[in-house]
Amino acid sequence: MRAGQGHSFLLRRLHSLSGIIPVGAFLFEHILISNATATGGPAAYARQVRFLGGLPFVTVLELFGIWLPILFHSLYGFYIWWRGESNVTDYPWTGNWMYSAQRWTGIIAFAYIVWHTWTMRFSGIDLHLFPGAAFGKVQAEVFHTGLFLFYVAGLIAASWHFAYGIWLFCAKWGIITGQKAQKRLLVLCLAFFFVMTGAGLASLTAFRSRPQQPTARIRSALKAVLTPPKT
Amino acid sequence: MADSKSVLFKIRRQGSPHTSPHWEEFSLAWHPGMNVISSLMEIARNPVTRDGKPTTPITYDANCLEEVCGSCAMLINGTARMACSALIDKLEQPVRLEPLSKFPIVRDLAVDRSVLFENLKRAKAWVPIDGTYDLGSGPRMTMEEQEAAYPLSRCISCCCCMEVCPQFNEDTGFVGAATISQVRLFNTHPTGSALKRERLAALMGDGGIQECGYAQNCVEICPKDIPLTRSISEVGGAVMKQAIGDLFRK
Ligand code: SF4
Ligand code: SF4
Ligand code: FES
Repeated sequence: MRAGQGHSFLLRRLHSLSGIIPVGAFLFEHILISNATATGGPAAYARQVRFLGGLPFVTVLELFGIWLPILFHSLYGFYIWWRGESNVTDYPWTGNWMYSAQRWTGIIAFAYIVWHTWTMRFSGIDLHLFPGAAFGKVQAEVFHTGLFLFYVAGLIAASWHFAYGIWLFCAKWGIITGQKAQKRLLVLCLAFFFVMTGAGLASLTAFRSRPQQPTARIRSALKAVLTPPKT
Repeated sequence: MADSKSVLFKIRRQGSPHTSPHWEEFSLAWHPGMNVISSLMEIARNPVTRDGKPTTPITYDANCLEEVCGSCAMLINGTARMACSALIDKLEQPVRLEPLSKFPIVRDLAVDRSVLFENLKRAKAWVPIDGTYDLGSGPRMTMEEQEAAYPLSRCISCCCCMEVCPQFNEDTGFVGAATISQVRLFNTHPTGSALKRERLAALMGDGGIQECGYAQNCVEICPKDIPLTRSISEVGGAVMKQAIGDLFRK
């Protein structure tokens, strides 16, 4: 230890905090509020997407509230992972398993998030411009079995990472310190994990149980509008 | 030896910090109540390997032989623990002995654990009473305070908690659970708390308390059952409060 020197304390605590706010808060909103509207059908979902896309300074919000914090949390997280030395084979205790699980769920969630952001936000139909196509755009992915499984994996990984992350946050920041209190909080976090996963699965089922919405038609219509006519 | 039970040992040996390690096997006659240290003493009395080759006695640290001095920690069948309280009857055979893996090797099973002493010094883990005149008796501690402090005071500086910590290595320079727990002990001591701010500030440095990943191995392994994760949480909270306070006041 280099007593009282360096910046790792600040970075490490920012890493811990960023996992709760804004990244965790966003995940909460994304799964338990926005995506849950999919259970109300394409119209309800489109309303929510239009509302989010219509927020003032939406790109600034996305950049500083979602993308950069996730990027920081992930990259600094990999750095933490790289410096630690997992030893569950020698010491297979629950806490030690959770320590490893926190790293593996992190990387699964990261891979999923990068792909999901790319396909939903940066390729295909722009849902900020055409919120009505949102339901169908998600459907086109979740009807594909492989992608559906990727969705489920991403959901479980992110939910676990966040739920156990709340517990870690409270333990490390000295918010919940006693053994019994920590046990109680663990039960709460576990319940929260099931609520998040359950809500996510319910939304995914909603997408899969309705007929495919016509994004293709919207897309070709869009193409017709956006491609300059050949002269 | 054929009729009575024998005990088999596999011991990792290394002549000096710079030579490469090798394994030697030993076979001892079983007798009741033997432990790892008493076995090493027997080997020292007759340093001959299992296949009859004379060798040197095995170097190891030990002193109290009753799990209070903390010097005999080593890897026994792959797990960090005190050799003097490791009863042979409760171990799987062959009994595999290795030096702790995260500390510089001196020779055979003896390692240099001065990093803990250095960290305790950096964190000022003592009660400051040096002075030129008699300070008189210290302030009284309530029964409750005593009961919270006593378990922490049982640390024997064995370094097991650091050996098993996934975050403790040269890269992180992590201070380890023992020192953090000692900070809690001395910060809650009425006279020791004079250095509270300095101790917490020390733990904010690189390799400080933030490096803990809360894997909780330390609290599982500690031979003295010290509530280490509780200490990490309590001190973590105190460090955080001080850090945020400093943001506004410093
Ligand atoms: S806290 Fe426990 S494991 Fe760590 S050095 Fe002290 S006695 Fe050993
Ligand atoms: S809780 Fe885990 S990471 Fe923290 S000091 Fe203990 S063993 Fe190391
Ligand atoms: S010899 Fe003192 S603790 Fe083992």
